[in-house]
Amino acid sequence: MILTHDETVALVLSLKVASAAVACALPPAIACAWLLARKHFIGKPVFEAVLLLPLILPPVVTGYALLALFGHQGAIGRVLDVLHLSIAFRWTGAALAAGVMAFPLLVVALRGAFEAVDRKLEHAAATLGANAWRIFFGITLPLSLRGLVAGLALAFARAFGEFGATITFVSSIPGQTRTLPIALYELLETPGGEGGALRLTWVALAVALVATLGAATLLRRGARGSGQDT
Amino acid sequence: MIELDFSLTRGEFVLQLALHSEARALALFGDSGCGKTSTLHVIAGLLKPSHGRIVLDGRTLFDSRAGVNAPVAQRRVGMVFQDVRLFPHLSVRENLRYGAPHPRDASRFDAAVQLLGLGALLKRKPDELSGGQARRVAIGRALLSQPAALLLDEPLSNLHREARAEVLEHLRGLKRELALTTILVSHQADEVLSLADAVALLDDGRLAALSSLPEFAAGLQKGR
Amino acid sequence: MTRSWRTWFAVLCCALWPAIGSTAPITIFAAASLKPALDDLAASGALGTPAPRLVYAASSALARQVEQGAPADLFISADEAWMDDVASHDALAIGTRRDLLGNALVLIAPASSQAKVELTDPASLLHGLGQHNLAIALPKAVPAGRYASEALHALGLWSALQPKLAMSRDVRAALQLVAAGECPLGIVYRSDAVSEPRVRIVAGFPPSSHKPIVYPVAIVRGHDGAASRALLNALESSRARSVFERYGFEAPPPPDQ
Repeated sequence: MILTHDETVALVLSLKVASAAVACALPPAIACAWLLARKHFIGKPVFEAVLLLPLILPPVVTGYALLALFGHQGAIGRVLDVLHLSIAFRWTGAALAAGVMAFPLLVVALRGAFEAVDRKLEHAAATLGANAWRIFFGITLPLSLRGLVAGLALAFARAFGEFGATITFVSSIPGQTRTLPIALYELLETPGGEGGALRLTWVALAVALVATLGAATLLRRGARGSGQDT
Repeated sequence: MIELDFSLTRGEFVLQLALHSEARALALFGDSGCGKTSTLHVIAGLLKPSHGRIVLDGRTLFDSRAGVNAPVAQRRVGMVFQDVRLFPHLSVRENLRYGAPHPRDASRFDAAVQLLGLGALLKRKPDELSGGQARRVAIGRALLSQPAALLLDEPLSNLHREARAEVLEHLRGLKRELALTTILVSHQADEVLSLADAVALLDDGRLAALSSLPEFAAGLQKGR
Repeated sequence: MTRSWRTWFAVLCCALWPAIGSTAPITIFAAASLKPALDDLAASGALGTPAPRLVYAASSALARQVEQGAPADLFISADEAWMDDVASHDALAIGTRRDLLGNALVLIAPASSQAKVELTDPASLLHGLGQHNLAIALPKAVPAGRYASEALHALGLWSALQPKLAMSRDVRAALQLVAAGECPLGIVYRSDAVSEPRVRIVAGFPPSSHKPIVYPVAIVRGHDGAASRALLNALESSRARSVFERYGFEAPPPPDQ
């Protein structure tokens, strides 16, 4: 299976965009998941609902919202333009779109992972004088690693396959924002392009397989290190 | 010096304690469900009483009238839980050092390891330890966090006979070597007799009696 | 218990019977760019009463659905390639295909923009774009994008502009990017530019710079009846033609190619 030059560019770009999307979505996702798992506060149900919005709204709507905010004419986009940090029509914009769409999945997975950690261990750590940061990074996070890795794999898959929000926000610009899903869409929209679309689908499947296997290997190695049963 | 004067309601159960003791090692004695473990959790800061005062060796840990409620991490109480609670992803050495991650020197560590006979276990993981070994590691971990007071929740429970004897011996050794205010929870008289200087008898969330060790022993002889 | 269930079931059937028994209204599957014009025609009664049901989507999606037997009576495509595709799947009623409309390709800018651009001069276009992008539809997937790409190639502008292209999912999205000021220039159909007050036409691409823009129409195989024929005639009538022209469409180019 040989890819054309354009398709290779699209594949590499998709990998770059998805990786950046997940890497940037992770810290806020951890913070939100921890808040949801461990804290009670006024407006918590509203907070939860807002976090899930990208899952509920049609991706095109999310794309338009990002365009309105981060486009050249957007409130935040204008400021970024002045600072020469513009993300409109750039791969960083594609990464933001993919990150926003993958974010709810990451939060849900991480929240489950944190809730599964025995709070009694966290209490014990507190009696030993550990502050909230030490408890989180030393106890909660290491013990929620399985869920974390699973969530990352899921989020990466979602970010990699992201189409609607991306093309609406940053359009398709070869080398910058023309990701593999967009290349696939173009083939589907061309009469007789179904064969090429199938070829790219195999490529996407291969990426998904590698990501899943990678995650499983990480988990197995981690479990072996801490003497736990896989 | 131990001063406990608080009230706590958990559902149907009401725990109301008022006691003052100058003993170095105080035992909270009573049947299961009388509030002994809850009292330890209150002292540690894991449970918040509705009102009251808790003072240990002149340090006020909780005072509802003065608005004092020291966070758990700042109470400097080393707690050994009944369900042990060793961190499963850390080695014995890492568990021990959790309470003092940056010690100025290694002598405290070495002394605690020596005192509790943990030298051969340092590289193991908690799931590779026997009940008695795990209990000793938990004690060592609590000690190494340099607490101002030690809280022991049923330290000999769920141990078979040899392990009980082993841990008891180590605890006696600790009592001899260290002058640390200790509050010990137990429902077994022999633990209390070996380790305590004074005994608070709890019954259904209330203090039934506060006695010295000889008085307690005498009471046992008479069959209470 | 059983008796009351049977009664309710019978009542339900009677209530639904009219819906089950009636015939579906006459349906046109039409390319999305025709929506404003066709809606107007239908509302004014020019397409008969009751007005036909109008289904809009990208020509590619509609073509595939027609090939799979969707309940369309007429199909209007935004380009010949997709109509050819439907024909090759034997889904058209023989002899009913004809060219309905033409269109023109224009270069647009936001209404407030003062840009002056010469299509023969790549430098003026690049200057008009500055740091930003030229909005067109995806050339591989959307007819409007394909015509734009052909025009840029024909005028020798492709190599200079290619790195600055921002390609959208459809031509309406490209239009909106210019209308919102996100892109200083864009290439869309004249019919699109006319329908959007927030853009102005800066230049028109000569018809020779791209393949003729043709909107073919045909009756779907198996739906060739009096009603379909009447609708086809209504679409080709002079009344319909004047409405289409008002919306920026043109008469179809003469079939000499």
